[in-house]
Amino acid sequence: MNTTLTGPAAAYLAEVRTELSDLPPGELEDVLDDVTDHLTEVTGELTGELTGEPSAQALADRLGTPRQYADELRTAAGYPPRGQAARPENAGAMAALRWGIVAATVGPFFLITGIFSGSPDSGFLLCLLGLAVIGGAGALGLRALQGRHPRVVLETPRGSNAAATIRGILDQLSPGQRRELRTVGQPVWWVARGIVVGGGLFGVFGAGAATVVAAVAGAAFSVWVGRRTQEDRRWLWYVVPLNVVATIAVPVWLVASLVGGGPVGRFDNPGYVGSSGYNGGAPGLTIDGQPVTNIYPFDAAGRPVKVRLYDEKGQPINLPLQNCAANGGNPDGTEPGVTNLFPQSIAVQDRDGFSDPDNCRETDKPPFAAPPMPATPTTSPLPTPGASTASLPTPGLPTPTQSLSTPGASVPVVPTTAPPVRTPGVTLTVAPTR
Amino acid sequence: MDPSQLLKGVLDLAVLAVLREADGYGYDVLRRLRAAGLEDVADASVYGTLRRLFAAGALTTYVLPSEEGPHRKYYGLNKTGRDLLAQSTKTWHHFADTMSVLLEEEAA
Repeated sequence: MNTTLTGPAAAYLAEVRTELSDLPPGELEDVLDDVTDHLTEVTGELTGELTGEPSAQALADRLGTPRQYADELRTAAGYPPRGQAARPENAGAMAALRWGIVAATVGPFFLITGIFSGSPDSGFLLCLLGLAVIGGAGALGLRALQGRHPRVVLETPRGSNAAATIRGILDQLSPGQRRELRTVGQPVWWVARGIVVGGGLFGVFGAGAATVVAAVAGAAFSVWVGRRTQEDRRWLWYVVPLNVVATIAVPVWLVASLVGGGPVGRFDNPGYVGSSGYNGGAPGLTIDGQPVTNIYPFDAAGRPVKVRLYDEKGQPINLPLQNCAANGGNPDGTEPGVTNLFPQSIAVQDRDGFSDPDNCRETDKPPFAAPPMPATPTTSPLPTPGASTASLPTPGLPTPTQSLSTPGASVPVVPTTAPPVRTPGVTLTVAPTR
Repeated sequence: MDPSQLLKGVLDLAVLAVLREADGYGYDVLRRLRAAGLEDVADASVYGTLRRLFAAGALTTYVLPSEEGPHRKYYGLNKTGRDLLAQSTKTWHHFADTMSVLLEEEAA
């Protein structure tokens, strides 16, 4: 059955195929396997009697015309008479097909809107909705097929036009290029779309570590789906809309990664390691997406105060040091330390924008005029400067190694160790104030 | 009387009977039918009958490579097929006996 028929026998087979084209695809392929087998045997016998290939006439004498042959086969196999196959329920199938295509278009739209919406919560919901709609599109598509081969989509005028266009593009490639595109390009594409869609979703909405896992899992899943699709083309109903998402997401992701710091470009961000939760990918402190490098607290009376900041879990809210020691670079090559004491002192840059390590000045003065008092004072009274440090919660963590400094006190300290970012408990403070 | 008309009604039975001896691919079944004396059997109808019996669940199918090159799809009887053959055989004998009695009466 793997023989390739040539000449009149191939033409005969093609005509039989045309005569039986109304059969379900699976049955058609199976019965044509048998017919191929038959034609191979008959051709072999006829070739034994003659020289060269048997003529079309010889085949027709032996087997009847292709139409007679097909009719005989149809009757004996109990297939429905030609032209009567499965017409009545076609209306429902067409409706399912139409809604399936609509859903396949709308689903990716939801997904993309979700990915690029600012808020993680609604974005995640939109993504889920989009995936659900794509799933619905696939289900409707399968319903529309009713066991027929997806090729039926190409039998509509629009479908055949699209197929012809794509074939025209492919025909301009040499056969070698086409084969390379298939054997090399296809797996690469599977892996790429899996990484981007799997990792991208978690990169935007989830934790950094989960992003890596999701990217790997996405790649594996994508390859699996790709293989399944090769075996069962009905998977195309799920794959095509997802490919649309991926074709849009892949370039966007690449651009965002190159530019750096885009909404989906957090892959190359070193800050994601070990962090979790929303915004897990961005290191340090942000407000409305903008990085915060220093905090200048003022008390209720509008006086600058020095405070230690902790979050609701008692973790110090640390920011990298920007004082002279950090700015000039550490001679021993360790990373600059962090502090949760604010305002932290910042090395004053000279006119060239650089600070001289040997002659460095620091300041914790706000780089802005003290803000006016708020019109409506907050209900909870702020602690007074003197009491603020004493009344701060002491988390169940090692006690800071030095006494908390009050504003105005000058206690220059060089970090003794360089803990990793966000290591709980170790609060290295540097409070060189003047 | 045209034997090919008669054959249409009993082709199922003939194909099942041929496959009872041994599994066979399409053309093999055809050859065995011819060898058994059913020269008038139409090629395409044998292939069609195999497909119908397979669709009815009476046959199993598998592919084997052949010495000459092409892989061949073999058909064989399963339990349903053997049951069908036994039942059809009974029906056939009953029918043939009835016809024989009828024809003898006519002749007598």
